[in-house]
Formats: sequence, structure tokens, C-alpha cells
Amino acid sequence: MSASEADRYARQILHWGEKKQRMIQSSSVLIAGVGGLGATVSQLLVRAGIGQLYLIDDGILDWPDLNRQTLYGEKDIGRAKRPLARERLNQINASTRIVELPGRIDEAFLVPVAVDSVADCLDNYRSRFALYRALPGGTYFVHGGLQGDNGQVLTLLSGESRPLDEIFAGALQPQGSIPATPDNVAVIAGLMVNELFSVLWKAPKLLNRCLVVGLTDFSMAFVDV
Amino acid sequence: MLHVKFFSLIRLLLKREALDLAWSEGDTVQLALARTQQQIPTPFLLKLLDEQGAPYAGTIILVNRRNIHHLQGLQTPLADGDTLALFPPGAGG
Repeated sequence: MSASEADRYARQILHWGEKKQRMIQSSSVLIAGVGGLGATVSQLLVRAGIGQLYLIDDGILDWPDLNRQTLYGEKDIGRAKRPLARERLNQINASTRIVELPGRIDEAFLVPVAVDSVADCLDNYRSRFALYRALPGGTYFVHGGLQGDNGQVLTLLSGESRPLDEIFAGALQPQGSIPATPDNVAVIAGLMVNELFSVLWKAPKLLNRCLVVGLTDFSMAFVDV
Repeated sequence: MLHVKFFSLIRLLLKREALDLAWSEGDTVQLALARTQQQIPTPFLLKLLDEQGAPYAGTIILVNRRNIHHLQGLQTPLADGDTLALFPPGAGG
């Protein structure tokens, strides 16, 4: 690690040490969706010094996004999110290599072989299920989802865990917009990043164990899956 | 004994995290849910099942970590000691 890197990451190295810092810097994560969860998850990973990020999202920024999509501002309305996210993330930390993946996640999507872990920051089950089916065996998948004051984070290991579409069979994809607040998005995104670090350090805390969070009464509970 | 656990909006609605039920020979998910409702004053089965008794989309029902969609649905048999989890996950991101 260079002197400038040691300085840049000094405060977190005080907490987790140089070995874990090097593991973060040599890791590659796919961010599926750079909307609410994805904007903050990608930003925190880049601030922590993640080595490489792949971004996929074909959305265009609109006014209802600004309450929670922390990489963007008013002047960005109407622009495509993926290149915007790349631009902003690059401004935060130019040492992270950022790769844009064109298109959208469907049954034809292929996860790049260099990806160590996937962050599911999507907003619908159909795409989530397609993404999970596209994983090569042995890939960690950190799922985040939310609605209003509630949300969940879950880690699966492809080829070993029960498939996502089996676990979430019978879940509801609401018609239209889903309630999403800046605070809950930040909480769930922060928990996802904490779990992603653990995954990158080969010690996931939520493998086959869904953390269910409620801000209404500050509750946390686990559902084993 | 059967262990019924409530999560997220179901837990908030019922104002409780779990309920233990006596197990009976021949028990199923459907029977356990009906007995759960009998022991809890807040109506919740109406939100879980339609008029024909089929589950609405929205709340996933797990028996010992497995979704009943991949077992025998509401007719999934329950053994003494089984855990039933009712969890409506958030879809947004």
C-alpha cells in the first residue's frame, strides 16, 4: 500500500487493519442498479477503496429519484444514471476502476467473470431473479430490499444457497411506485455495505440469514432461509 | 409445539414477534394459521389469504426455512417442533 493510500484510508485501517484494506482494494463488485440503494452502496465502496466496480442500470434520472439517490443533483435530471454514477464515483476516488455494463438485466444477462460479489440494488423481483440465475457458481450475492420504514438484507452463495426465486416465491411486486425514504434507503444501503465488506473478507454474517429491519420501532430480526 | 414467527409489517400489525402453538397430529400450515388467528385478537388472516383461502402475493411463508410454494402450499404438513415464519419482504431499492 502506498503512503498516500495509507493516509487516505487511515481512519478505517485503524478499525479493520491493513490486511482487510488490501482485500477491499483487490476486490471487484457488480452493482446491479445505481438508484436508491445502488447510489449509496457504490459510493461507500468507492470511498472505502474498492478495487473495481461494475455498474449496470439503464435508468434516466427523474425528480422523484433525488430524495434518496445520493450521487445525483438537480442539474442531472434527464441524464442517464449509469454514466453519471461513473463520473461521480470517479470524482470521489479515481483509484477505483469503474466499468459500465450496457443494457439491462434480463435472462440474457451475463455476469463478468472478474466479479467477486454482487450487490442486488434492484427495485423489482423479476430482474433480481434473472440476476441471480446469471451468477456463476460460488458467487456471493448480497440482496437489499425495502419499502417505507422496512427493509431486508440477505446474502446467498450461488450454487449452494437456495435460489433467490425459491426464497422469495409469493413476494409481491407492487404496481407503480414503492414508498422509499432517504433515511431507510441509507440504513439498508449501509447494512449492505457492511455485509459486502464481510463477504470480501470471506466471513459473511448474513449467509442464508435475512436481516429484517424496521425503523418504525428500531427493530432488527433474522429470518433463516 | 409449533413456533410461529412474525416479521416486518406482520409483526407491527400484531404487536408481537412470535407465538407458540400446541402441535396436533395431522397439522398443516393452514390449520396452524387458523389457530394462530384464534389466539390473536388482531385480524390478520384476511391480509394473508383470499376468500378461497389461497395466499395473496406479499407475505412469504416459510416452514423450517423453506418457502411453502416449494412444499405443499398451505397443505404442507407440520411436525412437532416446526417453525413457521411469516415475512412480507420489501420490493423496492
